Amino acid sequence: MAAQDTCDLTQPYRPYGAEIKETRPYSPCRAACPAHTDVQAYVGLIAQGRYTEAFEVITAPNPIASVCSMICHHPCERSCRRCGIDEAVAVRPLKRFAIEQAKEYRRNKRKLVAQNKGKSVGIIGSGPSGLTAARDMADLGYSVTLYERHPVLGGMLSTAIPPYRLPREVLKEDIDDVVSRGIEVKTGFEVGKDAKLDDLAKKHDAILLAIGLSLSRSLNIPGVDGPNVLLAIPFLEDVAFGRDPKLGKKVLVIGGGNVAMDVARSARRLGVEKVEMVCLENEQEIPAWKWEVDEAVEEAVKINYRWGPKAVKRDGDKVLGLEVTKVLSVFDGNKRFAPTFDNNVTTLLEADTIIITIGQMANLAPLKDSSVKADERGRVEWDQKTQKSSAKNVFVAGEVVTGPGSAIAAVASGHRAALAMHLFLQGETIEGKLPVQEKDSINEMPKDVLEKICKMPRQKVHHVEPAVRVKTMDNFEKTYTEKEALAEASRCRGCGGGAVVDPNKCMACLTCLRVCPYGAPVVKAWSEIRPDYCQACGLCAPECPAQAISMVSYDVKEIRGSMTTTVGCVDSKRTEPLIVAFVCTNRLGVHGADLPKNYRPFPVHCTSRVDVLDMLRAFETGADGVAVVRCGDRNCKYEKIEPRVQARVKRGQELIKTLGMEPDRIGILPAASSCGEFSELVKKMGLRVK
Amino acid sequence: MIVGSQKPIDEIWNMVKDKDKKKVLVFGCNTCVAICHAGGEKEAETIASLLRMKASQEGKQMEVSHMGVMRHCEPEYFDNVIEDVKKYDMVVSTACGVGVNFLSDRTGTVPVVPGINTSFYGAVEAPGVFKELCAGCGDCILHLTGGICPIARCAKTLMNGPCGGTNKGKCEVSNEIDCAWYLIVERMTKLGQLDKLGTVLPPRNWATSRDGGPRRISLEHIREFEEKEEAKAGK
Repeated sequence: MAAQDTCDLTQPYRPYGAEIKETRPYSPCRAACPAHTDVQAYVGLIAQGRYTEAFEVITAPNPIASVCSMICHHPCERSCRRCGIDEAVAVRPLKRFAIEQAKEYRRNKRKLVAQNKGKSVGIIGSGPSGLTAARDMADLGYSVTLYERHPVLGGMLSTAIPPYRLPREVLKEDIDDVVSRGIEVKTGFEVGKDAKLDDLAKKHDAILLAIGLSLSRSLNIPGVDGPNVLLAIPFLEDVAFGRDPKLGKKVLVIGGGNVAMDVARSARRLGVEKVEMVCLENEQEIPAWKWEVDEAVEEAVKINYRWGPKAVKRDGDKVLGLEVTKVLSVFDGNKRFAPTFDNNVTTLLEADTIIITIGQMANLAPLKDSSVKADERGRVEWDQKTQKSSAKNVFVAGEVVTGPGSAIAAVASGHRAALAMHLFLQGETIEGKLPVQEKDSINEMPKDVLEKICKMPRQKVHHVEPAVRVKTMDNFEKTYTEKEALAEASRCRGCGGGAVVDPNKCMACLTCLRVCPYGAPVVKAWSEIRPDYCQACGLCAPECPAQAISMVSYDVKEIRGSMTTTVGCVDSKRTEPLIVAFVCTNRLGVHGADLPKNYRPFPVHCTSRVDVLDMLRAFETGADGVAVVRCGDRNCKYEKIEPRVQARVKRGQELIKTLGMEPDRIGILPAASSCGEFSELVKKMGLRVK
Repeated sequence: MIVGSQKPIDEIWNMVKDKDKKKVLVFGCNTCVAICHAGGEKEAETIASLLRMKASQEGKQMEVSHMGVMRHCEPEYFDNVIEDVKKYDMVVSTACGVGVNFLSDRTGTVPVVPGINTSFYGAVEAPGVFKELCAGCGDCILHLTGGICPIARCAKTLMNGPCGGTNKGKCEVSNEIDCAWYLIVERMTKLGQLDKLGTVLPPRNWATSRDGGPRRISLEHIREFEEKEEAKAGK
């Protein structure tokens, strides 16, 4: 990977401007992510071909990043400011691509963490929140034991999510990352049966209950008890463990949530030709994600909207179908769930197998005879401010207390609980120290800025044909190719990652105001660059005469630093000229290609961030020539870049001329669509070794 | 503001190339000369980079760094950095001449040399264009000339109308220079004060300008207090 050659991979990821980042509003994608993954940072790194660094950003807040790269409901994408322009950046597919690229890196990285705190933590349940807390506590130096009642770790990820959505080898990578820290694993261990919760609470200094919602709710309607009416979770467990569940020829799934989709689509993959679903809601109200609905329909699953289950019709053991009644409305005026029915309109949905998928509840067996209390509705009592249960050293996290939610929300809950336990074990008060979930986000793109931004179509994520994919339990989504990933990543506007002014250096000279194509700076006593307006192009920073501007998502001086190690070690007996190329990452074909050794590409978010000083630095560190490779006006995602870049190149040429060097050692090259074309363009510069 | 322009790199090189100058600091000033893109921190770094390359070309071992402070003309701005500055063998100041003088007083045995030529008091006419508008003569008459200064803007500093070299609003020195008196007449006409130009201005007393020697202004109302404080502190 050519791009990686130019990056010092021994250095850990350093979030540029980290110290100012926390004081600024988040990008909408980051704010929307329950774990506040720094989405635009890793998408930006992917665009530059820096995949292992992207991996570090992705996994920093998220121990189940591989899982999320497959199944996350990606609230980041829904909040993407590109939605106002064309379509959201395909964040989840990009995450998947980056993680796959970093596979070897992550495996080599796994290592034991010293358990130097002298205290132990028992975590009950190994789903997303349990794994997260386990990782956090291990990283803090506690010895961690993970108790799991199933023979495998992962909770519902292992036992309920069908493999066509989440291949188990993908899940294993995340689990291995966590466990490799030196976590003791006790699988097949049922708390409440193999050991009492209170005894574990004595054995460990703190306990985390992260037991999720692992029981299916059933319906209280006639005919429901008896063979051929199944519950979702046991069915999905059968699917997960390859225990071919017995289904008839016509399966009816009751429910319209995401689990119902998993059930229906799994049934299709088990060879059932006729799979139907029935739900109270209409197309707009259905709680399942739109893409789940679309994909299920592609797979010939029929959805019967706005019918409520009334009775299972059966003939002895044989199920004949489900009698349903017409739904008039699902929600009341306050948007609360309160379905109303027209009992005069009923019909029979024929089926020989019915699977009930109408929600889940906690399995409270581990709490039996323990000092952890649950309320009459079967929910564990807890204090949201401390993540504590009613027992002194037993903490809670995940769906068992938050209610049904996403995997990534459970991750966030796991982090909170881990921090709470850490504070508790260090004898500190917890209240007021746990992070607030809601983060300030930058606002919508102002209309006048929106109008200036060009459309760039989203890269399609390819799926296996529906008729083919329903024949196996294999994952049907194809990972982006490198070309697709780079193109998609370059669509990111870098919201919230833009310019920040150091008021101690700014003397309010108005240069940034004159330079910015988006009207972002407002200059009073000093310049303030409005994050809502700033498009993070980087045009202003190299122009600032006081070097008062830095970029949140990338340091404009970063290239100069990394050149010392990469260009500086150049062979003094070289025969081919050493070319430093600042390459715009926007849809260029020179990534990952086998560039000749004497080319050192430095991928940049936009060539507008290339400073005259970067060009000089290249020569200082031994380069014979500098090429600034533009994406071309047609492809450029920013405004008014070309003339500025030309002016800077001209200035660079004038400066090296004063040192007696040929000015044409610096040049602008047009976009290249391939590595070969790029090489030809460089050759045309006709450079010699200095 | 004070406007300047960078000296050619060869000229700066000739100032710093001495054998004993191994550690050189290019020291930028982030106010006036930064605004005119001559000597702010950014340009200081540019010069430092060019000097490093020049040293390498000449086979000379030289460590060149750069730095910048907000202003080189107020002592407090040096407080946090002056000890570091003194560790260099030489300082190239890219401040205006004021800054070079002021810094020289504070660096002990370390020589300070100028990285830019200080040109004039001017304004930003357009991005990248700086124009001289005041000469700092010490006796302002702009109220008599429609806000257009004949001292700074007339090549001959004429006080009573244009010379014979005025040509369609331009100065005989260059087509690119406006004739100040042409502008004054136009402006006074517009203001309805053309009659004022009928009064002959007497010869000026240039003692307030450079002819009176280096100038110094000491404000009694500030100094009185400051001196008492200094006396208390035993300075």
